[in-house]
Amino acid sequence: MMNRGREVIVIGGGLGGLWATLTIAEAGHRVRLFSLFEVMRSHSVCAQGGINAVFDAKGEHDSVRQHIVDTIKGGSYLANQPPIQSMCEDAPGLIRTFERMGVTFSRTPEGQLDQRLFGGVKHRRTCFAGASTGQQLLHGVDQQVRRLEADDRVHKHEWWEFLSLVKDADGVCRGIVAMDLRSLEVRAFRADAVVLATGGLGQIYAPKTTCSTNSTGAAASRVYQQGARFANAEFFQFHPTAMLGEDKTRLMSEAARGEGGRIWVPRDPADRREPARIPEAERFYFLEDWYPAYGNTVPRDIASRAIWKVTRELGQGVGGSDRVYLDLTHLDRGFVASRLGAILSIYRKFAGSDPLQAPMEIFPAAHYAMGGLWVDYEKDTSTGGMRPGSPRNHATSIPGLYACGECDYAYHGANRLGANSLLSASYSGRVAGEAVVSYLNGLATGAEAMPAEYFDAEIRYQAQINQHFMHARGDQNPYHLHQALGALMTAKVGVVRNNAELDAAIAELAELEQRFARLDLAEANAWANQSLAHARQVFDMVKLAQVMAASARARDECRGAHYKPEFALEMPPDKYAGDPEFEAYRARWKANNAEWLKTTVAEYSTDSPRISFEPVDLSLLQPEQPRDYR
Amino acid sequence: MTDAHEPRTIELRIRRQDNPNSEPYWHHFALPVRAGANVVSALMDLRGQPVTTDGTRVDPVAFEHNCMEEVCGACAMLINGRPRPACSALLADLDSPVTLEPLPKFPVVRDLLVDRSRLLDNLKRVRAWVRIDGPWDTHEHPPRLSQQAWAANYLYSRCMNCGCCMAACPQFDQDRPFVGPAPLAQVRLMNAHPTGRYDKATRLHAIMAEGGLSDCGNAQNCVRVCPKEIPLTTAIGELGRQTTVQLLKDLFGGA
Amino acid sequence: MSSSIHNAHFLLRRVHSLLGLLPVGAFLVFHLWENSQSRLGAAHYNEQVVGALKGMNYLPLIEITVIALPLLFHALYGLVIIRAGRAEPAQYPFLRNRLYWLQRLSGLGLILFLLLHVGLTRIAGLFDPSIADDLFAHMHGALSQPLVFALYLIGLLLAVFHLANGLATAAIAWGLTTSAEAQRQFGWVCAGFGLALALLGIHGLLGFLTASGAGASA
Ligand SMILES: Cc1cc2nc3c(=O)[nH]c(=O)nc-3n(C[C@H](O)[C@H](O)[C@H](O)COP(=O)(O)OP(=O)(O)OC[C@H]3O[C@@H](n4cnc5c(N)ncnc54)[C@H](O)[C@@H]3O)c2cc1C
Ligand code: HEM
Ligand code: HEM
Ligand code: SF4
Ligand code: F3S
Ligand code: FES
Repeated sequence: MMNRGREVIVIGGGLGGLWATLTIAEAGHRVRLFSLFEVMRSHSVCAQGGINAVFDAKGEHDSVRQHIVDTIKGGSYLANQPPIQSMCEDAPGLIRTFERMGVTFSRTPEGQLDQRLFGGVKHRRTCFAGASTGQQLLHGVDQQVRRLEADDRVHKHEWWEFLSLVKDADGVCRGIVAMDLRSLEVRAFRADAVVLATGGLGQIYAPKTTCSTNSTGAAASRVYQQGARFANAEFFQFHPTAMLGEDKTRLMSEAARGEGGRIWVPRDPADRREPARIPEAERFYFLEDWYPAYGNTVPRDIASRAIWKVTRELGQGVGGSDRVYLDLTHLDRGFVASRLGAILSIYRKFAGSDPLQAPMEIFPAAHYAMGGLWVDYEKDTSTGGMRPGSPRNHATSIPGLYACGECDYAYHGANRLGANSLLSASYSGRVAGEAVVSYLNGLATGAEAMPAEYFDAEIRYQAQINQHFMHARGDQNPYHLHQALGALMTAKVGVVRNNAELDAAIAELAELEQRFARLDLAEANAWANQSLAHARQVFDMVKLAQVMAASARARDECRGAHYKPEFALEMPPDKYAGDPEFEAYRARWKANNAEWLKTTVAEYSTDSPRISFEPVDLSLLQPEQPRDYR
Repeated sequence: MTDAHEPRTIELRIRRQDNPNSEPYWHHFALPVRAGANVVSALMDLRGQPVTTDGTRVDPVAFEHNCMEEVCGACAMLINGRPRPACSALLADLDSPVTLEPLPKFPVVRDLLVDRSRLLDNLKRVRAWVRIDGPWDTHEHPPRLSQQAWAANYLYSRCMNCGCCMAACPQFDQDRPFVGPAPLAQVRLMNAHPTGRYDKATRLHAIMAEGGLSDCGNAQNCVRVCPKEIPLTTAIGELGRQTTVQLLKDLFGGA
Repeated sequence: MSSSIHNAHFLLRRVHSLLGLLPVGAFLVFHLWENSQSRLGAAHYNEQVVGALKGMNYLPLIEITVIALPLLFHALYGLVIIRAGRAEPAQYPFLRNRLYWLQRLSGLGLILFLLLHVGLTRIAGLFDPSIADDLFAHMHGALSQPLVFALYLIGLLLAVFHLANGLATAAIAWGLTTSAEAQRQFGWVCAGFGLALALLGIHGLLGFLTASGAGASA
């Protein structure tokens, strides 16, 4: 290697973190990769459905432009448009690179990449690997990183938890403090740049979430508490089709709808017959009725709210409960088995019944954080996209700290389209990696020149917190505090919100935070003490939940996943563009945009998050068209 | 769905160990579980009130979990004597009392937590990756692949490195060199990739060394316990063929 | 490049497998066929069968290179292989796993049997020409004792099982049978082969029991 290379830390080994690692290490720098567990077990493996990229494999006149438009509109115009443009343009190349790594994408009879339909779009644009796409993609990059590890170009710290950043006098990030989850040793690591790729935060809604048990958002919360800005926290996606469960609500991929699955309830909620015995005429296919153009493949926020409405407002859930049917039984068995085998087996294993025999029973569950750490980008005025290789891309508000993957806020605005986040996680990891390489080129002094006391002071501080938690002898069990948090957020900061409940939530969260003063860790073993790590995470989750509640409280409108009925603008039924009623609606919609089409930015302060707003770059597509999936 | 059932009480016998160097011991717990509960969810519930059947409050049991839907491989342990992922082990299907032990053949970290780094090191040993020039995009189309070839490869790509197959294999153990079935299956997968096959000989030589393919004794427990139904023994047979050819090439092919 | 030559591990394992099949396995088949002719009477057996063999040129050389050395290598290296595994037939009561365990058990049993068997026949014959001269009578005497008969029966069954199962696993090791289905079907073929071979062996054992051996039971 030409230059000796610098020292970079990547935190998180999901798709985002591994892509960043790969990019930085291939550029000749040394990477230390931190993860709570072996990286190939990261939450990214859970993704089933697929990853979007325009190949137009089915001759549908699909285009990159259309992908951009769908993504912008899907997110209700809330995302900055230059990054979206670059991501969609680069998507096909990214897929080909995955393919080169050995990812087993499903094939057409001609041996080419196959594509399937996903929610919120009219074209078959989603590449997939059976129904385990996330696992295949993650393992593809994991293998590449293992190759670099074997060549000593990447050093993994698995079973280490990131605790905090170390910043110099100018506020530049110069390293991290992390804890060995076995020995509980707290150690500092110097780094010339740090990339945070710690994934989502669905555990804040536990157990009613499709996310892995390690998707806590604690790491993002920690850097937020150290001064990084957090954007659009109120936008959290509830996936419409999750199977019911007490420990976790398991996702039934959107692919189930994309491949022809239909959602319905009996017209009579008191109907106790086996679903197969209910005749067509007595079934209410409410998505197909309400949204004839998209039918079952409307975007997630719309489907979730429709299910919410049918069950909670109309009282039409199966047997009057919070359940609706997701039906595959009318489809060809061989076809379904080959396309959706993995999710069918999940359902069989966990619900004990066969989706090919009887419809699945599903309900919406917390799924994906559109919001996340605020990250910058540099616009390339000649193309309208992001300037490739700019050190500003994916830089957080803390110099030297980058963020990518689900823990950033960049690509999905108010609502993420299905199969767009494997794309954004991978793509943003690569972009962040390239940005770090540029940042390092311009870096005058490296972290090795930093005086040791910065690091020692942070180690002492973090070790002190550990000591405090270890010896806490109150009456609050950390696992119960987590349950309380999940119940509170699900009830009051969920699919449908109102300000009175949000105010209550904010008060209850403050109270929950207080309860940590009376913590009882109930575990003294100083080796692999999981309660300690968990308690620390739950505390930081509460801090992040406060950001979510405060951001939701601040936004008085309906946009994407954030829905406050009080402020809903109802689209006039059966009226389309040109009709005066529709145009009046359009005018109201535009007026609302003028007021609310802006990014929410939260900044840490000791009492409550400081919320402000910043404008969105709309240079590609002005908001002229309300989202309309009828 | 089974959610009409009443909660019932189950008994758990858990083999515990405080750290890698201490002696194992047993704890018995009884706890109410809801219908549809699995071993991981029971262990999660137990964390909040870890009280044994004789009323002693003990440290919560350490164990690993993440996806809760049998794709991450984190939660594998020995359940009633069988290695399997705990999240997909429904308590309703298990004989009571349910005996939980750490996944055998791997060093215990604490309680049900084991260190599977050996498995990952073995993936390095067999070079289980496709060597690409770099992570940048090229402008070539992906090579074509028949649906049949895809289907055969896809089976192997679903391995989640849980280690169950290794735990059940009589030839694999901490202090023995055998790489184990899961890494072998990855060799089969990589060798079939259109460019991965360029390194076929290197991978084959890696599994023709000590601890390689021929240390498999065809006990075939691996394929019986694999939760992902990966055809490990088919991979072993196919690699048998590939190594046979490689041996002939080495002996008589000149290169 | 040719690391399978530089690193002998793989080659040794394949040689072990090959020797088990080719000279040793083939010898067993031949040997049991040879002994089955005890049915045709003492005279026939001593003169036509044993006598014909004894008449071969370079017999000791053939015995050493084609039988003794391969067997010795296979058995000794077999011990090395056995040390590299630990069977758990009770914990995993699957058929293949039990066979795996039996393959090793039968190998160990065979070592004991062969020490006894070869010692009492071929080696003893070197010192006591009368044994070699009338092998039929010698075997008749030995096998008439129930204990010896039982030992021979066990040794025979162990050897036949070991060969038949070895054939099935060798087919996987060399890559002849790959799919689970092929392995299963070939397993049945091997079971049939083993059964036939066992019957042939038992037929021969019983042949030595008829006192004069005169009456070929046709
Ligand atoms: C059930 C489900 C299905 C999905 N299906 C799809 C789909 O079909 N298509 C699609 O496009 N998207 C899908 N998504 C979304 C997508 O999977 C995720 O957004 C994406 O995988 C996130 O990747 P990531 O790299 O950001 O984070 P993750 O994969 O979550 O990785 C996070 C990493 O951070 C590490 N980490 C976290 N905290 C710390 C810490 N404190 N210290 C050290 N390390 C830490 C973890 O160890 C882990 O390695 C799905 C999501 C869910 C929940
Ligand atoms: C069916 C029962 C068997 C009978 C009746 C039998 C009989 C004999 C006899 C009579 C000899 C002496 C040959 C001679 O001295 O020239 C002999 C030799 C031998 N037998 Fe057997 N045998 C039997 C089973 C087996 C089995 C199961 C094996 C295992 C492989 C075996 C291996 C040998 C060997 C290795 C020799 C020495 C051969 C030589 O060096 O010439 N026998 N047997
Ligand atoms: C009668 C004499 C014997 C015959 C005909 C014979 C034959 C065979 C055959 C055909 C195989 C299969 C090889 C493969 O799987 O590739 C085999 C395997 C084996 N043999 Fe023998 N063998 C004999 C004696 C012995 C003895 C005395 C031992 C000593 C312990 C032994 C130990 C083994 C072992 C351990 C294997 C298993 C190898 C593996 O599965 O990897 N065999 N034998
Ligand atoms: S092959 Fe099966 S049992 Fe083995 S590690 Fe992979 S998934 Fe687990
Ligand atoms: S259990 Fe082990 S011995 Fe071989 S067939 Fe499977 S690897
Ligand atoms: S928790 Fe992921 S496999 Fe069980």
